[in-house]
Amino acid sequence: MSQDELDPVIHVPARLRIMVTLATLPEGDDLSFTRLQDMIGLTPGNLITHLRKLEDAGYVRTEKSGRGVTARTAVSLTYDGRAALDRYTTALRQLLDTVEPVPPRPAGG
Amino acid sequence: MAEGVTMKDGADADEGTGMDVRDAAAIMQQARARAEHELRISQSVLLASYGLVYLIGYGAVWLSVRGQRPYHGPGTAALVVLTLLVAAALAVTVVVAGRALSGVGGWSVRQRRICLLSFAAGLAGVYLLEAALFHAGASWSVIGVYGATAPMLVSGMAFAFSAALWPSWTVFGLGIWLIVVAATSAFAGPVGVWAVGGLAAGLALLLVAAVRPGLRR
Repeated sequence: MSQDELDPVIHVPARLRIMVTLATLPEGDDLSFTRLQDMIGLTPGNLITHLRKLEDAGYVRTEKSGRGVTARTAVSLTYDGRAALDRYTTALRQLLDTVEPVPPRPAGG
Repeated sequence: MAEGVTMKDGADADEGTGMDVRDAAAIMQQARARAEHELRISQSVLLASYGLVYLIGYGAVWLSVRGQRPYHGPGTAALVVLTLLVAAALAVTVVVAGRALSGVGGWSVRQRRICLLSFAAGLAGVYLLEAALFHAGASWSVIGVYGATAPMLVSGMAFAFSAALWPSWTVFGLGIWLIVVAATSAFAGPVGVWAVGGLAAGLALLLVAAVRPGLRR
């Protein structure tokens, strides 16, 4: 198995963090765009770009509700997204078993 | 975060395809740990705050009623202490839950709200019933026993039921313990019930609060 077999949509640091963060929520729950942005630490523009790529792949769903001060954009992981992350995690574990462990740093160094 | 892990946005390019698998594993671990920490309601804090209500609040009431013959109820100062502790515990619940659930939507949030509202309604019913008992001419002794044990019974049932929604044998055991303490401490009479109930419930809550972080479920 090679690294190329990891899902390229997920195998990007920011998108990986988004997927993992959303996956910690119980199924059926969602996270507001602002809370997700706060937890991931991205600018709104970058987060939108990444969410769009994940949404295009069918991994996340975004829903807007309310107006004005009550406006809220909810982001949630889809069933396909959860399955894709499971596959990614399994593949990553298999790859980690094949790579050489990083040698421990010398003490006091 | 593991050393050497770069956290580029990658918004404009899929440079992540070159990301090392060890870096990916570190990012996953870090993101999961942070999300679980931030989105989780700290049960230890909540359990400790309610443990103090029983230990200090019930203790204050017991100090004010011990030696009473006949029993004529706690003094104003003890009731103020108990009320302030209950108010503080409720405030802690609102702050801790509000912080963890900020921005979170969906069914599990509605479940939590339903549970909290049911618990609040149960407590309100307990105190309304106490007033009704007083109005119906119940003795101070009956009022005392009821006032000490009924809220504990409602809390125990709330804990036991909540363990069905968020599986936890520890919380279930705690709920059953509170129910048992509520029912049996009543036999200690209107004075002793505050000491027995306060100690047995308060120490159990504080103990679980202390060991809870080390328990998975």
